Amino acid sequence: MVGEVTEVADFLAAHEPFRELPQPLLSTLIRRSSVRYARRGTRILSVGEDNDVMYVLRSGAVDITDSSGGLVERSDPGTSFGMSTLVERAPSRYDFTAIEDCLLLVVPESAFRDLCERDPGFAAFYTSAHTARLRRALGVLHAANRGGAVLRTSLGDLVRRPPVSAAPTTSVREAARLMAKEHVSSVLVLDRGELVGIVTDRDLRSRVLAAGRDPAVPLSTVMTPRPATARPDALAFEALMEMVDRTIHHLPVVDVGGRVLGLVSSTDLMRLEHNNPVYLVADLQAAPGAAELAGLARRIPVILEQLVAEDATAQDMGRVVTSLGDAIVRRLLVLAEAELGAPPVPYCWVVLGSQARHEQGLGSDQDHALVLADGVTREQDAYFAALADRVSAGLTACGYPPCPGDVMATNPRWRVPVSTWRGHFARWLDTPSPQAVLNGSIFFDMRPLHGTHELVGALRADVLSRTGRADLFLAYLAQHAVARRPPLGFFRGLVLEKEGAHRDNLDLKAGGVAAVVELARVHALLNGLDEVNSQARIVAATRAGSLSEGLGADLQDAHEFVSYLRLRHQGRRVRAGHAPDNFVDPSTLTDFERRHLRDAFRVLRTAQQALTQRLPLEHLS
Amino acid sequence: MTRPRRRGGADRARPVGDLELLALDLETTGLDPARHEVLSIGTVPVHGLTIELGGARQYAVRPAGSSGVGGSAVVHGITDDAAAAGAGLEEVLPLVLADLGERVLLAHHAAIEVGFLRSACRTHGLILSDVVVVDTVRLQRRVLRRDRPHGHVTEDELGLAAARRHLGLPRYRSHDALTDALACAELYLAQVAALGEGLTLRQLVR
Repeated sequence: MVGEVTEVADFLAAHEPFRELPQPLLSTLIRRSSVRYARRGTRILSVGEDNDVMYVLRSGAVDITDSSGGLVERSDPGTSFGMSTLVERAPSRYDFTAIEDCLLLVVPESAFRDLCERDPGFAAFYTSAHTARLRRALGVLHAANRGGAVLRTSLGDLVRRPPVSAAPTTSVREAARLMAKEHVSSVLVLDRGELVGIVTDRDLRSRVLAAGRDPAVPLSTVMTPRPATARPDALAFEALMEMVDRTIHHLPVVDVGGRVLGLVSSTDLMRLEHNNPVYLVADLQAAPGAAELAGLARRIPVILEQLVAEDATAQDMGRVVTSLGDAIVRRLLVLAEAELGAPPVPYCWVVLGSQARHEQGLGSDQDHALVLADGVTREQDAYFAALADRVSAGLTACGYPPCPGDVMATNPRWRVPVSTWRGHFARWLDTPSPQAVLNGSIFFDMRPLHGTHELVGALRADVLSRTGRADLFLAYLAQHAVARRPPLGFFRGLVLEKEGAHRDNLDLKAGGVAAVVELARVHALLNGLDEVNSQARIVAATRAGSLSEGLGADLQDAHEFVSYLRLRHQGRRVRAGHAPDNFVDPSTLTDFERRHLRDAFRVLRTAQQALTQRLPLEHLS
Repeated sequence: MTRPRRRGGADRARPVGDLELLALDLETTGLDPARHEVLSIGTVPVHGLTIELGGARQYAVRPAGSSGVGGSAVVHGITDDAAAAGAGLEEVLPLVLADLGERVLLAHHAAIEVGFLRSACRTHGLILSDVVVVDTVRLQRRVLRRDRPHGHVTEDELGLAAARRHLGLPRYRSHDALTDALACAELYLAQVAALGEGLTLRQLVR
């Protein structure tokens, strides 16, 4: 009697893509497979080696590294590997090494091919590989969040505190005192936990004061009995309609069991729209002073969180957050000019780094500089020093910390005439050193924000006409870009931050978003492209033939996915009362997100390898 | 069905990578071949250092006696009804011996498996001669002793589940004969890897 190896079948059925396989196909696959064991340190398959099996890791861990030794993936149980050689019918492009004692399920090529033929889903899982899976992931992620804030937010999410309540026998005077003390405009009347009525400010006015009644009467005589209520899972939109319908402003939220969870007011619902970024930009532009500006800036995290809920892409969120940041800088400059008088010579305030790229997140450092008209005197510079001081201080008050590298207009080095800027750029391009290139790279992401834009336009055009030929500069830049290794091993908790406050967390910035940004920058400068936004740079570089169509599209998806997770994390941090950062606890990610994050990191690694082949890094030490 | 086999010294010099083995596990009504009965047999062939899942077999055996599975059902989960649905040992045994052929028999606590097999062969007029046996309990004792030359090895550490856990193998939930045979075969691969390169059959049976 043929034996059904239930443990192996159960194991496979718990993992993609075997989970989807019909039972007979799974049984056939198992019967055609074998089991091997690899001791820790064993090389299972090497680069350039021919291979005729697919492995499924049963237990243990396997590192997949590329020819340069970079970690492509750290496989955990359930992961398949080696199939790329079967799909591509080519020798292995990777080294596979057991880093723990491993039990391996070995599927021969013939069984793999038969299954691919019989089951299109199985074939698609492997042949379309990680790139198509990643694109699908983006779709699912956004589909899950579709809808505007009012349509999406449920009342349960809006209830911020337990209800302020009183018994029916409580006097009106007592209730009014309670409302004043709690700063609320209504009180719920509860009889042994059950909602029996509601008394609002308006009731006190019209039914007590205007009616000349004694404030000693019990609440039960002035309350609105059996008020309209709503369930916690009702949408804000539905509550709004209910309120408009009944011309009321308060709606108690009551669960199925009759328990009163809290109260939602029309103000709560309005606030959902009040955080519309368009209104905020208008408010920022009209802010009378730096203090008011700082107050308004506190709304930015709320807007970001809402954008996540509203299904905005990371690209859109970056634009919105940047627009708000831009509005703050512009307003601070206008306020400073009003105080200091007209500028003595034309100038242009430029933003650098993420703000220049329209990719600002929460808590982004200040990165800015001043480009002054040639011929500015030392006395005239004092005006700009004062201007920069005011703007920088204002930005700090608005939650943008000063740049740790002092890349700010307050630094006299970065507050210079156009001709001096030309000299800086010429030095970076013509006689580069690795450190200087690293320090200078931020200035290649430059965007004029306020003042005489022409000062910067000519400078940028001149610089970009030369970057494509600056071989050594580009090589150093590429070297830095490629050195940002995506944390592919984080799934096993091994390539996490090793020390400090962010121990065991995943840095979505360093090996993720920043890695794409640097890659995009190299490709832009390599081709003298004027684009500054990373997605725009990738599109333009693909059009210029610097990136292949497929890789360009994958890189855009990867950037979008990692950026999205990062921004969502930042929004959650702020909501929880913490400072925004880039360190995500992997356990807070869903399996789905982990898998696609891994795909995104793989795309990144592939793009880095492609760049390595493109630019001669070898002769650099 | 079976024929007498010669297993000379040359065979015993074979490296583990060239060995053909059959991992075997029995579910029985007790530990004494004279009184207890076989309820099921699971086997899986091992070709060198590879377990061939395609060769995995599981046989349900209908007990000959009238005593039934008794309290042993608690251990293996085989009820009287399930046992009755199996084939008679006289039908199953030749199939198992054919699979065994000239292979080395691999089992955990092999004395029990061998005892039952011999007893069954006697009852049914079959011959089980000269079978070479590798016992994963004995191999596990060596794996543990190597790690602690002077330490004591307890019986608890030698159980199938404990041995597998020690070598980082996954935990198996089910305990049918085939699962245990596979568990034993995987344990064997891990033990051979742990004991180092250049092992021969002679060192395994020692």
